[in-house]
Amino acid sequence: MPLSNTPPIHQAKNRRLVLVEPESIQERAAPQTDWSVLMASAQDGDRSAYRALLTQIEPYVRSIARRCFRHPADVEDAVQDVLLTIHSIRHSYDPQRPFTPWLAAIANHRVIDRLRHETRKRAREIELSPEHETSAQAHANHDGIAERALIEAIDKLPPEQRDAVRMLKLNEMSLKEASKASGRSVAALKVATHRALANLRKLIGGGSAS
Amino acid sequence: MKTSDLIDSLARSVTPVKRLRPPFVRAAVWLLLAGAVLALLALAHGLRPDLSARLRQDQFVTGIAATLATAVLAALASFRLSLPESSRWWCLLPLPAVSVWISTIGYACLTDWVAMGPDGVRMGEAAQCFATLLLTSVPLSIAMLIMLRHAAALRPALVSATGGVAVAAITSFVLALIHQFDATIMILIWNLGTAATIAALATLLGPTMFSWIASRVPPLPPVS
Repeated sequence: MPLSNTPPIHQAKNRRLVLVEPESIQERAAPQTDWSVLMASAQDGDRSAYRALLTQIEPYVRSIARRCFRHPADVEDAVQDVLLTIHSIRHSYDPQRPFTPWLAAIANHRVIDRLRHETRKRAREIELSPEHETSAQAHANHDGIAERALIEAIDKLPPEQRDAVRMLKLNEMSLKEASKASGRSVAALKVATHRALANLRKLIGGGSAS
Repeated sequence: MKTSDLIDSLARSVTPVKRLRPPFVRAAVWLLLAGAVLALLALAHGLRPDLSARLRQDQFVTGIAATLATAVLAALASFRLSLPESSRWWCLLPLPAVSVWISTIGYACLTDWVAMGPDGVRMGEAAQCFATLLLTSVPLSIAMLIMLRHAAALRPALVSATGGVAVAAITSFVLALIHQFDATIMILIWNLGTAATIAALATLLGPTMFSWIASRVPPLPPVS
């Protein structure tokens, strides 16, 4: 591919700094006609021409996306967004006009739009990192202090209330099973549990059982 | 999804599309539609009775000519701006006509206020004005939204704003030809007030409406 924009070597030697555009941008001048022809065919429904066009313009679109995004996933999303936009408004291209300005305008609009959106999102959201969590594993966050306090409080309850809570809440027995095991009526067990829970609230909140 | 997979699926789903006509042709089509709306309203309601007398007044003629010029230039600007590669400076195209239009309204208010005062606001006429306003602005706004839906992903705000100015100017033009404004307050409300409201609504709601329309109305297939 002829690189018409590259300065001759003898000129380059005389300068301290030579600005050379990235290769992908240099490439855009040469396939101008080809891209235009490919797009015109794509507008007529030619699938292979459309596939060839999208494959060829992808590196150019990527070079525009890379100017605004650093993270590879963001670049990928921006490239795909541009390709989808091209697909949805492909009828707005006039084959009598050059293709690259049309493509560059769409790519710049979409990339800048995404960048604005990302900046707004970053201004109001904080991304959580692993340091923000006390531990990634759930059981490591369970220190057992609350559990010990509850067991001690149950021990302080009057015997009938303590037995009712152990059977119905800790051992998860049904009222019938608890009634059979303790020899007490279902109603009595319900009352005992209700009082036990009220007492536990007081004990854990600070105070003595009644 | 990987980009190569996306390219594959886009290539598989590509269908023939009808290319857009040049922007000035599309703007002309929209203006013809506006002309049809004006003709229908003129047939149904009739033109204002003092139109021939008013057309001999320089101030009135300048005013409606500036309104019409605003509509034409703003329509052309919005169709031009809807193309990706167009410069955003096209939005300044209707500016000279807008400034003449607003200054004629301002001049009319200044000279007529003392002579007529704020009396003469007639509610019956106001209701008819409102009906004309809706019958003109709603169909033309919908037509413009559909014709410019491809701008949804590019510069929806600018296209909505210029499109809104075009609809507002056409509405004002139609109102001036059909309804008789006796008092300055009516001129202010119906010309500047409605125009500002339509343009503001278009600017605020346009981008959302464009996205909504664009997602539901696909590009047209070619005429075979």
